[in-house]
Amino acid sequence: MISIKNLHASIEGKSILNGINLDIKPGEVHAIMGPNGAGKSTLSSVLAGRADYTVTAGEVNFMGKDLLELSPEDRAREGMFLAFQYPVEIPGVSSTNFLKTAINEKRKYHGQEPMEATDFLKFMRSKMEEMEMDKSLTSRSLNEGFSGGEKKRNEVFQMAMLEPKFCIMDETDSGLDIDALRLVSAGVNKLRNSERSFLVITHYQRLLDYIVPDFVHVLYKGRIVKSGDASLAKELEVKGYDWIKQEVEAAV
Amino acid sequence: MTFLEQIKNDFNLYAAQATEDSFSDLRKNAFATFEKLGVPTTQLEEWKYSNLRSVQQGNFTTSCVSNLDADALIKAGILNKIIANKLVFVNGCLFPELSIWLETDERIVVSSLAQARKEHPATFEAHFGKYINFSEEGLLALNTALMSDGAFVFVPEGAAMQHPLMITNITDANEHSVFQQPRNLIIIEKNASATVIENYMAVGVHASFTNVVNEIFVGENGQLEHYKVQRAAGETYHANYTQLHQLANTNINQVTLTLDGKWVRNNLHFFMNGQNCNSLLYGLYIPDGNQFVDNHSRVDHAKPNCFSDEKYKGILKDDAVAVFNGKIVVHEDAQKTNAYQRNQNILLSNTATINTKPQLEIFADDVKCTHGATIGQLDEEPMFYLRSRGISEQEARRLLLNAFADDIAEKIKIPQLVAILESEIDRKL
Repeated sequence: MISIKNLHASIEGKSILNGINLDIKPGEVHAIMGPNGAGKSTLSSVLAGRADYTVTAGEVNFMGKDLLELSPEDRAREGMFLAFQYPVEIPGVSSTNFLKTAINEKRKYHGQEPMEATDFLKFMRSKMEEMEMDKSLTSRSLNEGFSGGEKKRNEVFQMAMLEPKFCIMDETDSGLDIDALRLVSAGVNKLRNSERSFLVITHYQRLLDYIVPDFVHVLYKGRIVKSGDASLAKELEVKGYDWIKQEVEAAV
Repeated sequence: MTFLEQIKNDFNLYAAQATEDSFSDLRKNAFATFEKLGVPTTQLEEWKYSNLRSVQQGNFTTSCVSNLDADALIKAGILNKIIANKLVFVNGCLFPELSIWLETDERIVVSSLAQARKEHPATFEAHFGKYINFSEEGLLALNTALMSDGAFVFVPEGAAMQHPLMITNITDANEHSVFQQPRNLIIIEKNASATVIENYMAVGVHASFTNVVNEIFVGENGQLEHYKVQRAAGETYHANYTQLHQLANTNINQVTLTLDGKWVRNNLHFFMNGQNCNSLLYGLYIPDGNQFVDNHSRVDHAKPNCFSDEKYKGILKDDAVAVFNGKIVVHEDAQKTNAYQRNQNILLSNTATINTKPQLEIFADDVKCTHGATIGQLDEEPMFYLRSRGISEQEARRLLLNAFADDIAEKIKIPQLVAILESEIDRKL
């Protein structure tokens, strides 16, 4: 699915990622954990194509394509999806119109005809049912006046609509109470299948109680310093990050 | 001939035809005032950014002679999709072949201003020139001194127009440069209602200077929807002074759309002379190239318990220059006034310029007023969000700018006009 090799990135001359190596195969769920400032959000931003970051070294292969050469929209059209930590409110752009535009731009990219309006509405209705989305959310302007939980659920709903192959969840749990966390996670779990891969970025272990990963990686100072299975997350929850920091410093 | 010589010449011509000229007695005083004031210059605070110097090089013709036939005019785009009563003026004179009348209430009068003065002298005299004050405004004096013709609309007590009235002014600058002074008088009496669209179009390569004055009176409990659509492209200079005088319990919704024109100055002045008035004034301007657009507005809260809401939005491209100058004046008596004013701008290039000045002058002590202005670029974060969903940069920009403009479009209550606006926005952006 995606193969990241020796990825280095900086912002305003400050180096944040210092050689990330990561392979994600179809259907796998990888979690990236790490203390504040480790580079977790930078990794998601660089993968999604945010212009603020400069990639200084390394390569990313996304299903046979050089990801770093693609514009943000082409990355999405190739099947990448970033669930934002802070989804943007866009007054005046209706959720329906937005989704229709996004789906049809993707279809155009793949040489397909645009979806008929009635087919689109049927498709959207079925996805809303599947994801248990409230009708009022899609009739409003995109994310406008949504609560934190509604915004995150809307991200997952968009994911369901756009049917990506690879999803990055950027600290989806931040700002969610336990009920919202459960709803959002349930949505993500519905979208898990043997083809679709996930990169779940989180500071806390609790999200991983609901979205159980196949692999857990610890990011520290812009590098993956430890990898394991879901039990590593539990260990971090009990012991915190300090022991890893000490391990890393000791090795230097 | 210079511009000033032209004006003098025109005035002498009118004076020579005094017997057949409907307005000759009104012209003299106004001309004397104009001679004193002259054409506004950037020395005047209210004209600081609005330079009319290039108009003054002159060579204009004051004549409504036009070789355009009705078909050509329809092709020029006179908003045919709107079912409306229509009055069409070409270079300032009524073009009766294209005028359409749909109302069945015979009490309602719509005619040219010249005709109205002959046929309805009492109503004309009661309202004409009563709301504007040309003693300090050179262009108002000029319009009064040289007015060509215009629309007269009279909706008597209790009457309601069933369809909008569209007053279309077409500048035909195919043969020569055009200098015109349209003058409209709209009277909505007590308990009456109307919708009026002012529509400006232009054809031809020569320059034109159009100096419009509207006087609008809305009597007690009256309702008015008023739209101004500026689409006169080319070498067009357009000054528009619209004075609204409203009495108690009146509702006015006014929307000004400035899409085309080389140089446009809109002056909008609401005078709320009664309690419980609602005045809504909204505007959208989308200048590009070397266009210049100036929206000047003034809202006078003269009596208590009135509400006004003003929002003007601009999207500026290329080397365009725009001005917003809004003033809310709350008079000493006008307690419990609620007045809001906002001006929001998006600059799409490094070379576009906006000069904005929201102002409040409050002489009462129990009022709620806010004002403010913003200038910015298209936000990066929404752009990235849309692009991260597979939407191209161009399409994302279009969605965001349309969303910005929609705020004003939704104030328009004629769906066909909204559709026209949307296609114009697409064309310009």
